[in-house]
Amino acid sequence: MTGLGTAVREFLLAFADDEHLMGQQHTEWIGVAPFLEEDLAFSSIAQDELGHAAALYAIVAGDGDPVDDDLRIDELAFRPSPGDWRSAQLVEVAAGDWAHALVRHWLYDAAEQLRWEQVAQSSLAPLAEAAARAEREERYHRRHADGLLDVLLPVPDSGERLQTALADLLPLAVGLFDPVAGEVEAVANGVASAPFDTRLDEWTDRVRRRFDVDPSQIQPAPPTGRLERHPDFGPMLVRMREVMDLDPAAVW
Amino acid sequence: MSTDLLADRVRTAVATVDDPEYPGISIVDLGLLESLDTTPDGHVAVGLIPTFSGCPALSMIADDVRSAVDAVEGVATVDVRWLGAPVWRVDRITETARATMARDFTVAVRIGRGPVACPRCGSPTDEQSMFGPSRCRAVHTCPTCAEVVEVMRA
Repeated sequence: MTGLGTAVREFLLAFADDEHLMGQQHTEWIGVAPFLEEDLAFSSIAQDELGHAAALYAIVAGDGDPVDDDLRIDELAFRPSPGDWRSAQLVEVAAGDWAHALVRHWLYDAAEQLRWEQVAQSSLAPLAEAAARAEREERYHRRHADGLLDVLLPVPDSGERLQTALADLLPLAVGLFDPVAGEVEAVANGVASAPFDTRLDEWTDRVRRRFDVDPSQIQPAPPTGRLERHPDFGPMLVRMREVMDLDPAAVW
Repeated sequence: MSTDLLADRVRTAVATVDDPEYPGISIVDLGLLESLDTTPDGHVAVGLIPTFSGCPALSMIADDVRSAVDAVEGVATVDVRWLGAPVWRVDRITETARATMARDFTVAVRIGRGPVACPRCGSPTDEQSMFGPSRCRAVHTCPTCAEVVEVMRA
């Protein structure tokens, strides 16, 4: 397939940006997670999400075919202007405590599973292939998050912290399902099987079963079409671009 | 040169490239080589598959393969690329490589869902951490010989 078209490109960028920022957020815990196994887990999970982002950016940079060109991927992955990003606010909000990190990890990965399913049969072969690789990796992410929640949710102190984090994050998490630019065209071309918001009920159900929350609590933040960045995004982008901005001509 | 002979030489050259995580273990034995095509006039295309999406060593491995193949007599051009499919699986690792990993690195390879055997004493190991020192390795311990065992998994 040659020539993605602007619409499909936008659709893929939204997915890539989410994966990229989720990976960057997880890296914040390297070295400061509550115990060693969590350092290892968050760094490995971050590496996977960054790998998925690179695969998606590569499809966009290669205009349909994956490119093996880190510079072109970096150009997309580190766009300097916040207005050019298409990420969801869930992955832009700054890290809180570890309960916050764990709840975001679970909420994001529950949605991510469904999102890869939407493109598992994609007409865009490299996207379908990326979905197959990602699902194999995501199983470990879900097992990790569920394993911790199984232990921590029933304990009074940690359970309360997790529920507080959930109340903060849920309105933003629902925004993962907001229709994004290019989605209609992506579905029409068989790049995705259906709009992502067709999976919202299933995800909400999983949230309810996992956290025992009343679904009426989930009042989504107003949809922005992913055009408005969370206030925490600016400082994060500066940090992400710090090394690159030191020497924009550097070759890695 | 016949294409068969050229292909043999190229395959041998690719097999000299070790995995950066396991010095002494060839990327061919790890199952990374998926396709190898040669033409009578010396054009070579090598297709590799990554063990996992976020592997940071991909460009390093591709560079090593390119240099190794470039040095083969009769090679005119080399095209090395990472393929999107198939998905790499641990059962692509050869028996030879598994034996070296067990002996030199105390690394076991997890095939299927059953218990993992300790590379030292063969006892079933206990999982301590799903994630280990690198993305494709979990950490187990052996209750019998007290060895820490790293387990290579998908």
